[in-house]
Amino acid sequence: MISKGINDISIDVPKDAYDTGKDAPTFNAYLTVIVRDSEGRVIKVHRQRSHSPTTNFLGILLPIIYFTNTGSSYKLTNIGGGTCSYMANPPTGTSTVNISYPSNNSTGNYPTYLVMIQVGSGSQSNPASATSLASPIANGSGSGKLVYGAISLPSNIIVSSNSAYFYVSQTYSNLSGGTITITEVGLVIQLQLETTYNNGATGNNINCGQLLVWYDVLSSSISVPNGGSVTIYYTFTVNP
Amino acid sequence: MVTPDVVSEDDIAKLIIPDDLPDEPSFKAYIEAKVYDKENHLIQYHRQPMRSLTQYFLALMSIPIVGTFQSASNYNAPGILVNVLGLPSQQSTYTGSSHNGANITWNWSIQLGSGTQAFSLSLTSLAAPIANGTGTGELLYGQLSVVPAGTSILISVIVSNYTTSTIDVSEIGLQCTIYLAYQNSSNNYTLTTYNFLLSYDTFSTAISIPPNGFATFQITLSFTG
Repeated sequence: MISKGINDISIDVPKDAYDTGKDAPTFNAYLTVIVRDSEGRVIKVHRQRSHSPTTNFLGILLPIIYFTNTGSSYKLTNIGGGTCSYMANPPTGTSTVNISYPSNNSTGNYPTYLVMIQVGSGSQSNPASATSLASPIANGSGSGKLVYGAISLPSNIIVSSNSAYFYVSQTYSNLSGGTITITEVGLVIQLQLETTYNNGATGNNINCGQLLVWYDVLSSSISVPNGGSVTIYYTFTVNP
Repeated sequence: MVTPDVVSEDDIAKLIIPDDLPDEPSFKAYIEAKVYDKENHLIQYHRQPMRSLTQYFLALMSIPIVGTFQSASNYNAPGILVNVLGLPSQQSTYTGSSHNGANITWNWSIQLGSGTQAFSLSLTSLAAPIANGTGTGELLYGQLSVVPAGTSILISVIVSNYTTSTIDVSEIGLQCTIYLAYQNSSNNYTLTTYNFLLSYDTFSTAISIPPNGFATFQITLSFTG
């Protein structure tokens, strides 16, 4: 007997499965921008959804099984245009090459860390494929520059019922003598791969450079007056 | 005259807290199940939004965002990795050789279950996991497939029912194992593993896999570009 074909079978598609764009999101990211004048008063607040992890982000997030199934690496491109063949290696055998992690061996640390929330004055139409800002604003007090403050990292997640979030932030001061306009923002990390070896041999490292992992074009430009400052917050949340 | 602030300092903290904005969400996730009978005919199709990511998902994705070190000169892990995942602030390694450090990687798997439980951010396992095998109440899990596609990641597995009874799947979770590799005090390669649940969902309709049938389960994590 030949069974019924796929078209004859009543399949079960719940109404809430359709992609209406109105589903409750399980993950979200937000940008908050606070601009202050030269006397520290808040003169502008900007909020928008953040939309764009880059392909660098997706590549780093991939698990071991992707690389063992495909037998290939994932090309990461740093902000200088250089590339790095990234592969999450299975932890078998006597050595592995993977993302560096802090240790108590001071000479064995090759930090992977958040370098900055970089700001820029350009834009690009395909943010997921961006590997650098279109027009980065340099760190400094000269014309067209902003003084980048220290990055602020989360010490923990913040929990509210079944929702949780963390945020990173950075403040920039405008000592340029003129107004600076920000139109694009991105997260840049330094990625180092660390090799561990067994019994006697020493490890070494692979420097993948500075990678743009998240990128957004602001929905409206942000003007920072001379003598003023701007603080940018990236908030990441689950089950908002 | 002093111009008032647009918002007070107290209000700024509230602005950082996520809330709804009118435009499209930046992330969507779906779970899809297809069930086939022993003659390879599709007999059930089910698709539903994923609703429940755990705090461990948030912590895992912090690695590509904030890294594993606090800074270029601070050789300690960010607090989120220590406080949420329970990883050491510094991995103790063999210090007799220069350049011997530690590294981190992770793997994923899809776990199916036959129970239900209330969601919490700190869930670490399913209510009633269905074991891998061909014995009573078991499903034979195939190799996990992970495919990056544009700004999405597709994660899927095929499970087969070699028992003589129908097996109902009512819950699904995306599991993660983190591996920290380092040299121990004898300079031997050593691993520490950490297991988490990245997501947990119950099916709005149970997925029934008949004897000698099989099913594919796919989780789609979609980031808009």
